[in-house]
Amino acid sequence: MDYFIVSLLNGLIYGLLLFMVSAGLTLVFGMMGILNFAHASFYMLGAYAAYALQPVIGFWWAVVVATVLVGGVGVVTERYFLRPVHKYGHAHELLLTFGLSFIIAELVKLFFGNYPVNYRVPQALSFSAFHVGPSAYPFYRLLIGLVAIAMFVLIYLLLTRTRVGIIVRAAIRRPAMAGALGHNVPVVFMAVFGVGAALAGLAGAIAGAFYTTSPNMAIELAVMMFVVVVIGGLGSLEGALLASLIIGLSTSFSVGVDVSLAQVLAYVGMGDWARGIGGLLTLKLSSLSGTIPYALMLLVLLIRPYGLMGAKE
Amino acid sequence: MSIHVVVKPLVLCAALSMVGMTTQAEPLKIAIVETLSGPQASTGLMFRDATRYAINKINDEGGWNGEPIKLLEYDSQGTPAGAAEKLKAAIADGAQMVVQGASSAIAGQLSEDIRKYDIRNPGKEVLYLNVGAEAMELTGSKCHFHAFRFAGNSDNSVKALVDAMKAANVLGTKVYSMNQNYSWGADMQAAIHREAEQGGYEVVGEMLHDVNKIQDFSPYVQKIAASGAQTVITGNWSNDLLLLMKSAKASGLNVRFATTFLDQPGNLANAGHVALGAYVVHPFDAEANDSAGAAFSEDFKSKVGHYPVYVEPQTVFGLEMVGQALKAVEPEDGKLNINKLALAIEDTTLNTPVGEWRMRADDHQILLPMVVSEVTTEAKFKVDDTDMGFQPVQLLSGAEAEAPVQDTCKMKRPA
Repeated sequence: MDYFIVSLLNGLIYGLLLFMVSAGLTLVFGMMGILNFAHASFYMLGAYAAYALQPVIGFWWAVVVATVLVGGVGVVTERYFLRPVHKYGHAHELLLTFGLSFIIAELVKLFFGNYPVNYRVPQALSFSAFHVGPSAYPFYRLLIGLVAIAMFVLIYLLLTRTRVGIIVRAAIRRPAMAGALGHNVPVVFMAVFGVGAALAGLAGAIAGAFYTTSPNMAIELAVMMFVVVVIGGLGSLEGALLASLIIGLSTSFSVGVDVSLAQVLAYVGMGDWARGIGGLLTLKLSSLSGTIPYALMLLVLLIRPYGLMGAKE
Repeated sequence: MSIHVVVKPLVLCAALSMVGMTTQAEPLKIAIVETLSGPQASTGLMFRDATRYAINKINDEGGWNGEPIKLLEYDSQGTPAGAAEKLKAAIADGAQMVVQGASSAIAGQLSEDIRKYDIRNPGKEVLYLNVGAEAMELTGSKCHFHAFRFAGNSDNSVKALVDAMKAANVLGTKVYSMNQNYSWGADMQAAIHREAEQGGYEVVGEMLHDVNKIQDFSPYVQKIAASGAQTVITGNWSNDLLLLMKSAKASGLNVRFATTFLDQPGNLANAGHVALGAYVVHPFDAEANDSAGAAFSEDFKSKVGHYPVYVEPQTVFGLEMVGQALKAVEPEDGKLNINKLALAIEDTTLNTPVGEWRMRADDHQILLPMVVSEVTTEAKFKVDDTDMGFQPVQLLSGAEAEAPVQDTCKMKRPA
């Protein structure tokens, strides 16, 4: 039972973290049609910015400033890089963000070196929240989860319940009409992109302290972000949340399952045959847990190519 | 006049051939094929720095055949295919030895390519100097006469760790095996099982997990906690090691970590005091053998800019050993006979600051002393600008750390 509770919590919180990282990506794609390859780089920038600022202004302010800073980088990216190439189509935008991700990675290495840096959870926050059986549950993990939930609620309310949300949705759906009604559409685009980047920056600043802040952190998470967005449906915020939670929980629980296909087949009398073949059939599920999200993505692409909650086109 | 027309080119030819005779023979060329760019470049660059340092040292002592050795550098960009491509370029550029270490996958490719090349081009053989790839098969089923490994492997790393930690009474009787799911991790897991009897422990759990894909190790830590293990032996490196240790600490899990790659730069800085009390096995520790280690460390620092860590010492020692063997090989028409060099390396013993290095002729695995160290704040040489460093617990000689030759190695020696 202890094991179940901790696995459940672990899965939920890892899922929420994934959501925090991929929310901006799906938002920008859903609204602007830009598949932002540099999104994971914004996540990394957030972590490094917070790491650099923490000794000067403290952890919390560092998180806030890092978020704003990365949002600013996003705004500049949209205004001066993406907007000029917008008229050439999405392929150009995609290539541009792809190139940008390389530049950011090299810049980070230039300033902070090739190796992981000592960005850590501040002493005041690294205590255990409660105990489940023998093991303690770190408070910081709960914090990550709470921030992610707050983020989801805020964005959701902003888009569906406020005037700003109406204008944003209008500008995205019918840019020409929104423009004719006197709204500044380019500014809306710029703001959306900036907010998307800021969300990634916030995720980086919070999660970078708990996991590792290294020049490779962007690449490591980038693939998973796209998996989340594809499973959830491109552009769907709720879909991203659902997909993140599914991935988090499935990876968390599968680690505890030491069952191989051969053992399952043994119930129908084919165990020896399966063990004879070996390979995939004798591999334990627990050692495959990191691969499950990709299998899930494959399944979704086969059955529901538009994702769990994506709009059917 | 017509005579003049004939004579002039003749004189020119003679003059040119004179020039040819007076110039020295081509310098000996050694190539390093490493990952020098991209996300995995940090380790490749360390191999390169150490190789440069070692070659410069050999050249300061006179090089070979009165000429400094020339080092050629190639960027494999982190893939076996890239490395294979660069190997062709290196051979075309006249390299007679190839240095590499950062990945067992690339090592496998290079070693096989060189084996085939050497069969097809007798008299023009190329030597493969493996300074870091630790997969067992490289001195097992894939061993061959023209490949040398100047690095430890899973078998002797685990043996050294277990022996030293048992002697220090910190091993416990319940061990968890946590490794990455590829050749290296599988080798480690096998070695951990093999040492169980000798080390007097029981393997209470084993796990092979995906490599560098996992952000969240807490489910794994949960599993370790459930097993009741006292020590976790892991061959994990980079993020997979850091995240595992941090996650264990955050859950308040009270286990000791026995590692093979904790001395990778940046690890202690990132892990912070979580790393205190963890053990690492490595081929060199500046503190391990009094002043000898310190002298080497200071000299390395004065030339490269930092103390030698991680894979750098073994790379330096390995190439020094080649340099020493070169002294015993006479040039033939100004050229180096690679087969003779290979035989000379088998006969060379090198005195490193931590003890004697000797090449085992049966499988070309180096027999090297291993140092088992603990992460403490008392260590003399601090790491990564932290207050922590690696304090030697035990120095095992090459013979003590030796693991037996694998049955799978069937080496064909030149007639």
